Amino acid sequence: MYAIFTENLIKEYQNHQILKGINLKIEEGEFYALMGPNGSGKSTLASIIASVRRPTEGEVKIYGKRPELMRGIIGYLPQESFLSPLLTGMENLTYFARLMGYSRHDAKKISSELIERVGLTDHANKKVSDYSGGMKRILEIATLLFPGIKILILDEPTAGLDPSARRMFFDILKEIREEDTAVTVLMITHIGTDAEVASRVGLMDDGRIIAEGTPEELKEMCSLTEVVDIETSMKNEKILEILNKLSSNGRVLETENGYRVYCSNSEEVISEIVTALNRAGCKIVKMESKRPSLEDVFFKLTGKRLRGEQDASDIR
Amino acid sequence: MHQISASFERTLKEFLRNRSVVFWTIAWPSIWVLIYSLLFTKEVPKHAVPYVRTSITISMMTFALTIAGMANLPANIARDRESGLFAKLKSMPLTPWKDILGRLSALTVFSAIASILVAITGVLCGARFSGTCDHVIRSILFLLIALLASAGIGLILGSFIQNVQGVIMGGVGICVVMASISGIFSSYASLPPILQKLSRVYPISSANSISIYLLAGESVAGYNPLGQAASTVASSLLIFFIGLILYHRILWRGE
Repeated sequence: MYAIFTENLIKEYQNHQILKGINLKIEEGEFYALMGPNGSGKSTLASIIASVRRPTEGEVKIYGKRPELMRGIIGYLPQESFLSPLLTGMENLTYFARLMGYSRHDAKKISSELIERVGLTDHANKKVSDYSGGMKRILEIATLLFPGIKILILDEPTAGLDPSARRMFFDILKEIREEDTAVTVLMITHIGTDAEVASRVGLMDDGRIIAEGTPEELKEMCSLTEVVDIETSMKNEKILEILNKLSSNGRVLETENGYRVYCSNSEEVISEIVTALNRAGCKIVKMESKRPSLEDVFFKLTGKRLRGEQDASDIR
Repeated sequence: MHQISASFERTLKEFLRNRSVVFWTIAWPSIWVLIYSLLFTKEVPKHAVPYVRTSITISMMTFALTIAGMANLPANIARDRESGLFAKLKSMPLTPWKDILGRLSALTVFSAIASILVAITGVLCGARFSGTCDHVIRSILFLLIALLASAGIGLILGSFIQNVQGVIMGGVGICVVMASISGIFSSYASLPPILQKLSRVYPISSANSISIYLLAGESVAGYNPLGQAASTVASSLLIFFIGLILYHRILWRGE
């Protein structure tokens, strides 16, 4: 039996189909990352699995039952902050513990243990309005750690976290999964490096899952072996044309300071790029060869960027 | 039970820690009791002054709990809706009824605190409550009926208006306008006939008049409103249940 199972899930909203038949099968204990750009429907999917919204068609099962019946084992982290700024960190956590059904005494005990676990003991009695954005997110993550929670549905959990808080988040997640191997994680993200941590990744675009597999499988699937990042003194159509001819499958991504060229053999391509750009009078400020990320895989498959709103306009 | 008391404690703490809520629900009506009692009773015959002050005090108690029900409650709901708390709550093993029961209990306790403080201000300004113990209990029940109707209107507003500012403006607007035209801010006798009819039909002003009648007498209330007690209770319950149903269907239903 799958921990999370969806079949032909369709969600329509204001005559617009947000989800177009999602079939998702996640095994117990799996860490599944769902990656896609803004508006691809990933948050809608997460909220349906968490029983916050209802699908228009299709079915969702959590351990074979309707999600509404499994709320006691679901820990859902929505994208928006849900803490009360007028309550202290400890009061907020105790509130959620009591909603899980704990008595006042047990809720306080569990909450103080969790506050300590997430490193907020010194701030436990401060009002949440005095917390930084990262501290708020960490406290929200603590609401997922109550005993008995077996399925974590995390919607952009690292959004707004600084590098140390982000590291802490992944450490906590690792700890949870080591302590209880039956805990299943579904993480929604648009950050490739976050998705790399997962055991399986689904790439979502325009309401559909377009590819699925381990991070390595996805990279192999697109025959993406290397990418070359080039920082140039200028950017124009002519340079794009040159790089376009040298890239594999003709895909070049325009970056902030230059271009990213997708290729299968960077050694050959780099020398060709240097020669071609010198001939065109373009100075190369910096050039480096990298292993492709999941964001590159997504770009290769869809021609859309994961971060920001730009999409097809980036494809040259 | 744990879930109801969790919702109750959270909401009550939020009411008490929000300065603007405390000011508009407790300080503002108390200030008006002071102003009316001390400055606007000079024309009143001396023997009637304490009863007029009683009437002002009861009206401001009604105003306090109307503001609490029509503005504080929906603002609290709208804030939770805006912040994403409802998305979190819907994914938890919590029923809407337990959540609203906690919120309404907090509203009742907070309104009681506000009303008692306004009543103390009134007594300090010279208000004198007459009537038997039975009258006091019945007038408290009718103030609770006014709170029920206010909470019903608050739940309707909170269900339809999504942003906090909008819901506060809407709640305060309805509260102040209705209090002005239905005889809560003025005497029943000074209202034109059409507004006197409104004053009898609008459950909050009717409950207010019943409380004044019971604790200060018919001459201060302007008429005997006991004949409309049943319709006041019925219309308040109707508004309250409409509010509850909308709250459940609009805020808790999975979209």
